[in-house]
Amino acid sequence: MPLFTARVLANQEVAHDYYQLDFSWISDAPRPVPGQFLTVRVGSSGVPLLRRPFAFSDAAGERASMIYWRRGDATRAIAGYQPGDAIDVMGPLGVAFPEPTDGAVPVLIAGGVGVGPILFLANALAARAPYPILLIGARSAQGLPRVRVDGRVQLRTATDDGSAGYAGTVIDLLDRTLDITAGDVELYLCGPNPMLRAGHDLAARHGIPAWVSMEQTMGCAVGACMGCAIHLTGVERYARVCTEGPVFRSTDVDWERL
Amino acid sequence: MIALRPVIGGRELANVVGVASGTFGYGSEYERHLDLSGIGALYTKAVTMHPRPGNDVPRIVETPAGLLNSIGLANVGRERFVVEKLPGFASMPCAVIANVAADFPEEYAEVVAYLDANDPTGALWGYEINVSCPNVKAGGVALGSNASEVERTTRLVRTATDRPLIVKLTPNVTDITQIARAAEAGGADAVSCINTVVGMVIDTARRRPVLPAGTGGLSGPAILPIGVAAVYRVSRAVSIPVIGMGGIMTTDDAIQYLMAGASAIQVGTANFVDPRIATRMAAEIERFAIDAGVDSIEGFHSLLEPSG
Repeated sequence: MPLFTARVLANQEVAHDYYQLDFSWISDAPRPVPGQFLTVRVGSSGVPLLRRPFAFSDAAGERASMIYWRRGDATRAIAGYQPGDAIDVMGPLGVAFPEPTDGAVPVLIAGGVGVGPILFLANALAARAPYPILLIGARSAQGLPRVRVDGRVQLRTATDDGSAGYAGTVIDLLDRTLDITAGDVELYLCGPNPMLRAGHDLAARHGIPAWVSMEQTMGCAVGACMGCAIHLTGVERYARVCTEGPVFRSTDVDWERL
Repeated sequence: MIALRPVIGGRELANVVGVASGTFGYGSEYERHLDLSGIGALYTKAVTMHPRPGNDVPRIVETPAGLLNSIGLANVGRERFVVEKLPGFASMPCAVIANVAADFPEEYAEVVAYLDANDPTGALWGYEINVSCPNVKAGGVALGSNASEVERTTRLVRTATDRPLIVKLTPNVTDITQIARAAEAGGADAVSCINTVVGMVIDTARRRPVLPAGTGGLSGPAILPIGVAAVYRVSRAVSIPVIGMGGIMTTDDAIQYLMAGASAIQVGTANFVDPRIATRMAAEIERFAIDAGVDSIEGFHSLLEPSG
């Protein structure tokens, strides 16, 4: 849980209302890995009050990135950050996406703001075969992020309005165009809950393992406050997204009670 | 160098700044990354008779300058507390005060007696009795808004331990001084106030409260003036020390509490914003005292000019 002041290196719009913030990462802090997140203190007054959690979208050397959706006061403030600005960051936090089992084809599915951690994972998994398949969904073409994707990653896109790529949801794209039952496949998902659930349902139907990165309003982000709980199936009724997650096995999540 | 050391039940704390129950876990969440030696007291997440899973989700929502929560005393229960948490407290470089919650007066005493009996080395500095949680059906505010029940609970717990005993009060009552006097009469060594203020946020699009429980407890800077007023009134109604809390984000906020009559303070929600804040605040309060020519905690109380 290192806590330090980073410097903004770049802050650019990568899709309509989606931004990528690049910032310095101190070398003696642990290197963030895909699935992990950081929290950012926005401003120094009581509004907004809590630190905001964001998944890493990249980390290399003394540099890390996150992709965020400009939708509220805090993210509007972040969108105004300029290179050189100081930001108060805490991280890396949470558990990472697990590696796919040997020989399994990782199929990565991102919707909306979920693109950050999925992109990070795609570029990390591109280092060795079998290379990942990356599916990115957005409402329309202008919501698809212009980001760096490793050439070995097989990228496909979907838009709800059909303005780019497959016309339909990213889960439809998965279901209709990929035969995930043909070989050894593992799913990795991040995005809105309905998308995660649809992905889970599909995976469960075919008996395919699926990993989901969950979201919940967070208090402390280090496991102390019990605020960011979600329902689990099984004996332990709740889990903290910040420390037991954000990545969960999809069959552990109680999708009826989100 | 002056030392502002609150004395509660005959025992001294290292400084006036504590970290409030429920906002610092059991310390272990922060211990690896922060030096906790600058913290005056760590008030644990509430411990109860049996493990509690906590309330339905979502459990927290941010409000203007505030945080509304309905955690529901999620905790591991007294047995796992003793086995899993207690050993870590012994080596912690700050005083650890167990916050205890229960459904009824006898149960508070039973949990405290259990902790006392299972802590022969004194890893626990003392107890804070939570008769003020707004998010549980039994115990909590229901008990804490009844003066005679608070007195009875305090008396029962008093017979269960010789360690410092703090009773944590709710602001959700007509007259908090009445409850404070009841705690004092029952044998409390100090009272802490305030616990969170009952509040509600409605999601107008979904036409329902954001928290499944409906209401929650409001903390954060929004409640600072409520807490300061409570401490001002309570400290004039009882002769035991008052521990002030509610919305402290800055050193100036803390000094408001000290001037109002607090003998110590607790930082809660601010820990989420900056986990280093308690240590920094303790040092800054000491610096303020030096500049103001204050050499005791009582000195802070007399800094406040009479109003009116």
